Amino acid sequence: MSFMALAPLLAVVAGALAALLLEAFLKRKNHELSATAAVVSLLAAGFFIVRSWGLEIGYFGGRLTLDPLALLLMAVFVVAAALVILMSLVYAPRRDINLGQLCGLLLIAVAGLMIMVSSSDWLVVFLGLEVLSVASYALTGSRRNDRASSEAAAKYFLMGSFAGAFFVFGLAFLFGTSGALGFAASLREGSAPSGLPVASAVGLGLILTALFFKIAIAPFHMWAPDVYEGAPTPVTAFLTFAPKAAGLAVLFRILAPLLDRGGAASVLGPAVSVAAVLTMFWGNLAALRQKSVKRLLAYSAIAHSGYILVAVVSGDGPGLVFYVIAYLFMNVGAFGVLAAMSGQGVERTSLADFAGLGRRHPWLAASLAVFLLSLAGFPPTAGFLAKFYVFSAAVAKGHVLLVVAAVLASLISVGYYLKVIVAMYMQDDASETSLEQNDPALWLVIFLCLFGVIQLGLWPGNLLTLIRQAFSVPF
Amino acid sequence: MINLIASVPIVSIVTFLPLAGAILLVFIRAGSARTVRTAALAVSLLTFAAALALFFRFDGTSGLPEFVERASWLGRGLDYHVGVDGISLFLVLLAAFLTPLALLSSWRAIDDRVKEFSLFMLLLETGMIGVFVSMNLFLFYVFWEAMLIPMYFLIGIWGGRRRVYATMKFVLFTMFGSLLMLVAIFALHAAYYRATGSYSLTIADLAATPFAPGLQTWLFLAFALAFAIKVPLFPLHTWLPDAHVEAPTAGSVLLAAVLLKMGAYGFLRLGLPLFPQAAAAFAPALSILAVVGIIYGGLMALVQKDMKSLVAYSSVSHMGLIMLAVFSLNFEAMEGALYQMLNHGLSTGALFLCVGILYERTHTRLIADYGGAAARMPVFAGLFLTAMLASAGLPGLNGFVGEILCFFGIFAANKVLAALAVSTVVLSAAYLLWLYRRVMQGPLKDPGDMRLRDIDGRELACLVPIIVLIVFMGLFPGTFLRKMDASVSRFIDAIKNKPAAAMTLDRAVPPAARLER
Repeated sequence: MSFMALAPLLAVVAGALAALLLEAFLKRKNHELSATAAVVSLLAAGFFIVRSWGLEIGYFGGRLTLDPLALLLMAVFVVAAALVILMSLVYAPRRDINLGQLCGLLLIAVAGLMIMVSSSDWLVVFLGLEVLSVASYALTGSRRNDRASSEAAAKYFLMGSFAGAFFVFGLAFLFGTSGALGFAASLREGSAPSGLPVASAVGLGLILTALFFKIAIAPFHMWAPDVYEGAPTPVTAFLTFAPKAAGLAVLFRILAPLLDRGGAASVLGPAVSVAAVLTMFWGNLAALRQKSVKRLLAYSAIAHSGYILVAVVSGDGPGLVFYVIAYLFMNVGAFGVLAAMSGQGVERTSLADFAGLGRRHPWLAASLAVFLLSLAGFPPTAGFLAKFYVFSAAVAKGHVLLVVAAVLASLISVGYYLKVIVAMYMQDDASETSLEQNDPALWLVIFLCLFGVIQLGLWPGNLLTLIRQAFSVPF
Repeated sequence: MINLIASVPIVSIVTFLPLAGAILLVFIRAGSARTVRTAALAVSLLTFAAALALFFRFDGTSGLPEFVERASWLGRGLDYHVGVDGISLFLVLLAAFLTPLALLSSWRAIDDRVKEFSLFMLLLETGMIGVFVSMNLFLFYVFWEAMLIPMYFLIGIWGGRRRVYATMKFVLFTMFGSLLMLVAIFALHAAYYRATGSYSLTIADLAATPFAPGLQTWLFLAFALAFAIKVPLFPLHTWLPDAHVEAPTAGSVLLAAVLLKMGAYGFLRLGLPLFPQAAAAFAPALSILAVVGIIYGGLMALVQKDMKSLVAYSSVSHMGLIMLAVFSLNFEAMEGALYQMLNHGLSTGALFLCVGILYERTHTRLIADYGGAAARMPVFAGLFLTAMLASAGLPGLNGFVGEILCFFGIFAANKVLAALAVSTVVLSAAYLLWLYRRVMQGPLKDPGDMRLRDIDGRELACLVPIIVLIVFMGLFPGTFLRKMDASVSRFIDAIKNKPAAAMTLDRAVPPAARLER
C-alpha cells in the first residue's frame, strides 16, 4: 500500500493536462512545447515504473496493483506513446492536426491503459477502458477537416459505446450473483456447464463480448478496418497496438485462472480458440484483397490479435508480453514508414504508391521490408521469435490443432506482406513523386523500431529474463 | 601456435563471413558496380578458402561432429550449436565452392541493382551454410527459413518475365511445409521435456530419445512434408520448374545445386535419425514416389522446349534417385546418395551455367532456336558435353561413382524398384544427348542477332573449376568417400539401433539416466 503506486499514472495525467493547457492558454501557439511536456511526463512515468519494479505496491485497497505484468505493459505503453509523439512532430502540422491536443489526448489514453492493466477489479478496469475509449474516439477524429477521419471517429464512438454498455450489463450480472467486484471473487465455482453460476456465466459472456469488441476479435471486429484506415497514421499505429495489448492483458488476467479450472476450461477454452482462429483467418483473408497498404496493415493488426489470443488460451503470460513488445516495434515501424510516405496534404497509401520504392528510397523500402518480414514471422526477426514462443507454449499445453490453424493463417499472411515487397522491389516505378524527407524524428522512430525488431529477433536475452522473472517462470 | 589455430571458431567463420561481407557491401557506394562485384567475389572466395581449411583439417575417422562450437543463446534448449561431420562437410564445401562461381557468372548478366544482388547472394550463402552446420534444431530452422528471403528477392527482382509468380509460388510452397515442420518442432520440444525433464533441441539429444510410435508418425510426416517439398519429391515438385525457369542463372545454379540438397539433407539429418521407426514404415511409400519422380522427371525432360526447364526436370529425376537411395536405409545407398548429392550439385550447376552462357549471347533458351552452335563455340561445346555426360553417369566422371553406389544399395533393398530406377540412366542419356544434338550439332542456325562467340576467360573461370572437380571426383572418389565413411556408418548404426519407445512417453528412460547406469 503506497502512494507511489499512483506515481506513473499521475505523471502521465499531469503531462496530459500540461499539454492541453499549454495549447489552450499560450498566446503564441507553440505545439512543440506541448509535445515536450508530454515527452517529459512520459520519461517521468518511465522513471517511476522502473522504481516500482519488484515492489508489488498497490493503492485503493489493492484495486490498483503494480504487479510485474502491469509494470511491463505500462513501460511498453510509455514507449509506444513516446514513439507516436515523435512520429507526429512533423506529420501532424502537415496534415492539419493540432499537435498539442494530439499529445494531450494520447497521454489520457495512456492513463486509461495504465489503469486497465494494473487492476483485477471489474469497475476499475471499466474506468480505464472508458478513459482510453474517450481519448481514442477524439484521437481518431483529430483530423477535423477530413471526412474519413470524422466518419471513423463516429463509427468508433458508436461501436465503442455499445461495447461499453455490454460491459456494464455483464458487470451487473457478476456483481449481482457474487456481490464482489474482483475478478477472482466474482467468478466462483457454480453449477452451470461452464463451472460458474448461470448468471455469472452470462455476465462473463457479456463482458468477454465487450472486450472482444474493443480488441477487434472476430466476429466483433467489423468497425476496426474503417477506423484504422480513417485515423491519422500515427494514431493508427497507436490504436492498432495499445488498446489491443491492454485488452488482451485484461483477458489474460480474467481467463488464466479460469482456464486452469476443469469446468470453465471446457467451455471457455474452445470458445476463445474458435475466436482466435476466426480472427486470424478473417483478418488475413481480408488483408489479401486490399489495395491500400494502410488498410492491409489494419487487417493484419486484426490477425495479430488472433495470434496473441493463442497465448491467452494457453495461459502463456510471458509469450503474450513478448509478442506484444515485438508487435509494438514491427507495427509502429510499419506505420512509421507509412507516415514517411505522406507529404504535405497527401496520403500515399495505395500499393501503386509503393511501386518502385526500392529504387527511389532504398532505406525506407528496406525498413518496411524488414517490418513486413517480421510481421510475417520470418527469422531472424522479433516476429518470428514471438510466434515461436507463443505457439510452442500452446503446443506444449496440447493445443496442437489451434497452432496448426495459426501457422496456416500466417502462411496466408505471407501472401499479402510479400505483395507489398513485390510492389516495392519487383515493379517498375509508376509514380515519379519523391518524398519530402525532412523529418529526423520520424527517422529516429523507424530506426528504433528496426533496432527493436532485429535485437529482439537475435538477442532478446535481457528482455526474456525480465519477462520470465516477472512471471516467476524458470529459465 | 597449434592451440591458437585450434581455438579459431572456423565453422562460425565459414558461416558468417558472407554475412559480414553483405553488411560491408551496404557501405559501398551503389554506383561503383565493379567495386561491389569485386568485393562480393572476394568475400565468397575467402569463405571458400576457410571452407577448404575445414576440409583439410577434418579428420573424419570417428564419425563424430568436429569443430563443434556451442553457446547458450535463448535458453530452454535453443542454443547456438554448430559443427560438421562427414555428412555435412561436403555440402558446406559445395555451397562455398559454387557461390563465387555463381557470382562470377553474373558479372555481366546482372547490371541492374548490382549491390542488392551481391548482397542477397552473400546472405543466401550464409543461410545455406548455416543450414548444413546447425546441430540444434532451432538454429537449423532459423537458417532454413531465413534463407528463403534472399532467394525470394533473387528470383523476384532479377528473374524472367513471370518472376513474381514463380517466386511467390516458391516461397509459399516451401513455407507451407516448413511451418508444419515448425509445429512438429514445438511438439518435439515439449515431448523431449516430458521424457527427460530438461529442455533441449540439440539434434543428437533428440535422436537419442525414443518417442512413442504414434507421435513419431505425426512428427515424421510433418518433417517429411517440408523436406519432400524442398527436394522436391513427386508430386510436390511443381514449384521447381517455375522457379528455375524464371530465376537468374546464379539463382538457378544455387537453387539446383544447394537448395534442393537441403531437402535430402533434412531427411538424412532429421527425418531418419529422429523417427527411425516411422521412417522405416513410410520408406516404401516414399520410395515409390521417388521412383515415379525418376521416371516422370525424365519423361518430362524429354519433351521440354526450354533448355532451363529441361535441366529443371532432370533435377526432379536425379533427386528422385537420391531419395530412393536414402530410403533404402543401408550403407552403400546412403553413401551413394551423399556422393550423388555432390555430383548433382556440380553437374547441374554446370549445366545451368552453360545454359546461362548461351542465353547471354542469344537471349533465347528455346531449343528450337539453336543448332550447330558447336561450330562457333568449340571450347564451350567440350565443357557442355562433359557436364552432360557427368549428369548422365558416364564412367570416369563423378556421376558414375554415385549412381553405382546408389544402385548397389537400392538393389539390396528392393530389386523391383532398383530395376525401375535404372531407367534413369537411359532417360538421362536420352534427354541430355538429344539436347546436345539439337543445340550444338547439325546445321548452324543463326536467326539474326545470335552472336555465338566462344566462351571467354571469365566464363572459363566459372566452368573449368567445376569440370575439373567432376573429373577428379570421378577418378579419385576415395579422397571424398574416406571422409564420409565413418559418419555414414555411424549414422546407419544409429538409426538401426535406436530403441523404439514404449507406448507412453512418460515411461521412456531419459538418455542421461541410461548413460549413468
